[in-house]
This record gives sequence, C-alpha cells and structure tokens, in this order.
Amino acid sequence: MSEILNESIVALELGDEAAGGYNPPAASRTWYHYLLLAGAILFAAVSVGFVGTIFWSSLPTWLHHAGTLLGGKGWASPLGPFGGLAMITGTFETSLIALVLAVIVGLGTSIAIVFLIPRRFRNVIATLVELLAAVPSIVYGLWGLLVLAPWMETTVNPWLNSWPFAKAIFGNPGQEFGTSLLLASIVLGIMILPTFVAISREVIAVVPQDLIEASLSLGATRWQVIRGVVLPTAKIGLFGATFLALARATGETVAVALVAGGVANVQFHLLYPGTSIAAWIATEFGESQGNEIAALMALGVLLMLLNFGLSLVSRWLVRRQRRVLALV
Amino acid sequence: MSDMTEIQEPKEVGNEMRGEIRRISSHSRARRLAVSRMMIALCAIALLVSAVPLVMLLYQLFKQGLPVIDKAFFTTLPSTPSLIAPNATGGVSNAIVGTLALTIYASVMAIPVGILVGIYLAETESKLASSLRVIAQTMAGAPSILMGLFAFSFVVRDLNVGFSAIAGSFALAVLMLPVIVISTEIAVRNVPNTLREAGLALGAKPHVISLRVVLPASASGIVTGTILAVSRAVGETAPVMLVIAGGFTNSWKPFDPVSALPLSIYENAKSEWPSLRAQVWGIALVLVVFIFVLSLSARIWASRKQQVKN
Repeated sequence: MSEILNESIVALELGDEAAGGYNPPAASRTWYHYLLLAGAILFAAVSVGFVGTIFWSSLPTWLHHAGTLLGGKGWASPLGPFGGLAMITGTFETSLIALVLAVIVGLGTSIAIVFLIPRRFRNVIATLVELLAAVPSIVYGLWGLLVLAPWMETTVNPWLNSWPFAKAIFGNPGQEFGTSLLLASIVLGIMILPTFVAISREVIAVVPQDLIEASLSLGATRWQVIRGVVLPTAKIGLFGATFLALARATGETVAVALVAGGVANVQFHLLYPGTSIAAWIATEFGESQGNEIAALMALGVLLMLLNFGLSLVSRWLVRRQRRVLALV
Repeated sequence: MSDMTEIQEPKEVGNEMRGEIRRISSHSRARRLAVSRMMIALCAIALLVSAVPLVMLLYQLFKQGLPVIDKAFFTTLPSTPSLIAPNATGGVSNAIVGTLALTIYASVMAIPVGILVGIYLAETESKLASSLRVIAQTMAGAPSILMGLFAFSFVVRDLNVGFSAIAGSFALAVLMLPVIVISTEIAVRNVPNTLREAGLALGAKPHVISLRVVLPASASGIVTGTILAVSRAVGETAPVMLVIAGGFTNSWKPFDPVSALPLSIYENAKSEWPSLRAQVWGIALVLVVFIFVLSLSARIWASRKQQVKN
C-alpha cells in the first residue's frame, strides 16, 4: 500500500529518469498545447525570478563588502560591518556533525529494514519513516528547545565535560539554556534521518538478488554479504543519499534558529552557542534594513549555491547508480 | 592475521580481490558467524535508535498538548500574559485562520500552474522541458527560507504590497510548485501509452486525449502529490515568518498581515511566560494532527489508486 507513496517521495527527492513520453506532432498543436506552454513559461519565469531577485537584492554586498561577508567575524547591526564567517562555519559544523550521526544510524536502519524486517511489517516502518519526515521542522525545534535543551543542560553537558580533553573539544561555557552547536547538530541529525533512510533503503533494496544469493552460496555469512556485496554495489547511490541529506541539513532553518543559541561567533567548541546561515537570516531579518538586508540576501545566495551544488551532485550520483545497476 | 593459511586460487581472480578472499576465508566459520551476528544486532539497534525520537516527540506532544486544548483555544484571540494574570494566554484563532488563508491562497496560485507544467513535462520533449525538469527537481530541495527572501524582495518590496497574507502565500506557492510539477509529471507518465494510442485510433485530437483520457487516468496520482505539497507547506515557518508580519486579528483579507500556526509556535517557544510555553505544545499538536491527516489522506488516495490498478 505504501509503495506508491514511497516511490513518489523518493522520486520527489531525486527526480525520475525521463522515460518514454508522448510527443504530439507539431501540426496538430491546438490551444491546449499553448496553454501548457504558457504554464511552462510562467514556471520558468518564477524560477529565474527566484534566483535573479535574491541575487539582485544582494548585489550591493557583493560589490562593496564581499570580503567582509565571506571572511569577517562580527555582525554589527544595524550599520555593519556584516561578517558572515560565523554563519558559514556554523553551517558546516552543524550539518557535518548531523550528517555523521544520521549516516551511522541511518545506514544501520536501512540495512535492518531491508534484511531483518519481515515483508509484512515493512509498511509499518515505511509509515513511521514518513511520519518522521512529515513532522514540520518547527516542531523538532520546539522539542529541542523545551525538552532536549534542559536535558542537555542538566545531564549531558556535565557528563561530556567529565571526559578527558573535554575542554579542548567542547569548551565549558556554563550555558544558561543548554542551547548549543552540539544540540543543533543532534536535532538536525534527527531531522535528516528520514531523508537518508528513505533513499538509502531504496538504493539497498534494489541490489540484485542474484549477487546476494551467489555470495550466500559461497558460504558467506549475512554480514559478509552486506559488507562484501550489498554495500559496494550500492556505494554510489549511498553517496548520493549522503549528499542529499547534507543539502537538507544546510537548508534547515527554524529548528536551528531555536536550538543553536543564535550567537554570531566563530566557534569550534561545540557546547557554545552558534548559528547557521539559514537560522541567522530567519532571526535577523525582522529588524534589518538597507545594507543589512543586502548582506542577509548575500548569505541567502551562498546558501542557494551550496544547496543547489549539493543536490545536483547527489542526483548525478544516484543516476550513475541506476546505470550501474542496469548493467549488472 | 596470525592463522593465515595458504590457499590455491583460480587464476581469473583479480589481484585486488585476492588479498580480500584470502583474508576472509582464513577466518573460522564460528568467528565469521559471531562477527555477522554482532553487526546485524548493531543494525537492529540503529533501527530502534532511529525510532526513539519519533516516540519521544509524539509522547511529549500529546502529554503536554492535550491539556491546553479547549474550546477557547480555537475561538479566542491571543492575549499577552501580565503579572496580574500570568495565565491569560487566550487562544490561537488568528493563527488558525491565518494558516488556512495562507494555505488556500497558496493552493489557488500553485495547483493550476503546477499541474499544467507537470503535464507539459510529461507530454512534450524539448530543450525547455528537460531544463524545466532539472529546475523543478532542484527547486523542490531548495531551503525554504529562500522562498521567504524571494517573496520579500518581489512581493513586499518591489510590488510594494507590504507584509501580508498574499506575500506569505506567494512564498508557500513557490515552495509547493515544484513538488506539484514533479508528482504530476510522474502520474501522467505512468498512464500506459496503450490508452493514448486507443484514443488516437478513435481519431481523437491530442488535447482531447490528454484532457479526457490521460488526466482522468492520472487524477489520483496528481491529487496525492498535491496533498503532499500542501501538507509540506502548512508546516513551513521560515518562508512565512519573513513576510506575513504576524497579525493579531482573525483576518481572511489577502492584503492584511496574518499569523500562522508555525509562527505562533516559534514566537511562543521563545517566550518568557511559562503559560505561553505550555500553550505552544497545544499549537504544535494541532499542527501535527492537521498535517498527519493530510498525509494519511494522500496515502489513502495512493492505495485506492493501486487497488484500481490491480
């Protein structure tokens, strides 16, 4: 029952290969085809306008303050200078840590779903993964702020600080509310988990049964089959899923805005508060004017380039995976 | 490997595989089984770990959300608590009206265009179609905050409309559009070509085939995709928070500032007042239930489609 929906979610994330299609001859075009064409042109205009307007609004920053935006450390509202380094490093730190968490748990989850769960329970699991994906990010943020942050503050942070070298890795800020880059990474990891699981599960499930059975017949154990056959065959697609999850993590906004602490400091100690590009745009935009809006738009351009780049790479990888499997 | 033994290998095995085969086959079966069981167990643990957040989240939502929901929650406007009346939170009727208004306006803008573009992508092959396909896929994954920046620059500033419901629903429409386009294209492509050919054989014009044969056959797929798009838009905070200005009245007017459920969650979660922070769970519960109902109805449409196919 869930297959179609699942198919559609994966297709939404990755896009499907264009196959077949029906092409009316040019001579028989009617008003209907011009109507379709008009819709297509409107959509093209919206997308060009989308990229163009944001870039255009950010132009003053690129012309006059490009260096400050990319390398400056402080964000001085309302007159500037507006340095974006803290947001850029914060984005990379939180999304990379989130990615590591999500890939470790997600890969195990996908393997377990494909190889351990009996077929009739898979729908239940697919539903759960989907529900997890359907929960809006503000609700994750709320949960992170009101439930996880106090718990981090009273339990996790003191525990982490009792580790050797804890000061060097985490810092020891004595944070009031428990909001930190680490908490943002954990919440992000939970949020990108469904994306990663949905795609990696599909990639793993389509590894040809022949290969698996051949390996089993040679006396390999289940784990040897997974490690030696399934994962190498699915490797490219799994990288694709990873890049897509990373793209999701970089663009996540309100959850990070609520749990990261919202402080524009270049910070590599994870228990200190920080921020990300998207979160900073969301929290600062309301009170900003003039040059600050242009600077926030320029941060938006950076976010857009990062996201589009990652999602193009991930789709290219998954397409290559499909071609590899077509050859097997 | 201390217990390495010499084994004879066939010549065809590539050099890079030889070491691996030797390494693996040198382990005893008991040891390989033990490793296998351990790793499989770790995978099962990963599955459980990934279920924990959902269970915890839903538990908190219902435990803390249900007690604050009553009739006034839906029907009264919010009020600011004060030292005299610290529990006077009022309701969230403005946010409910705002979310419904935003969703309806956004759907009116996005659904017709999205379906047209989806049909265009499925039925024609041209340079424009293939580049639009890539654009739709890329836009479908774009960070939602960018839609807010777009709506601000274009609608609020350039068109001089101001902070309003129409600006927020424009942002949501841009967000929904690529999702509707992609799912419509898939649904239309899934219609078997034999149906189209049967229409052609009867002498029907291409637009008649498209409107009377292909569209009805793909309707449930299109509806499913559209509902998914709407349910994604309902919960979005980032794009609307930049442009709707959080109005405090029950206004359906497109050019008024409005509020929205996700926005009230964001505002109340950061509040100093414990009563507002308690109310926020109720708002989140209403939002999540609304979205789950939408997704489940998409699911039911999809399963009905499959039953018809089978």
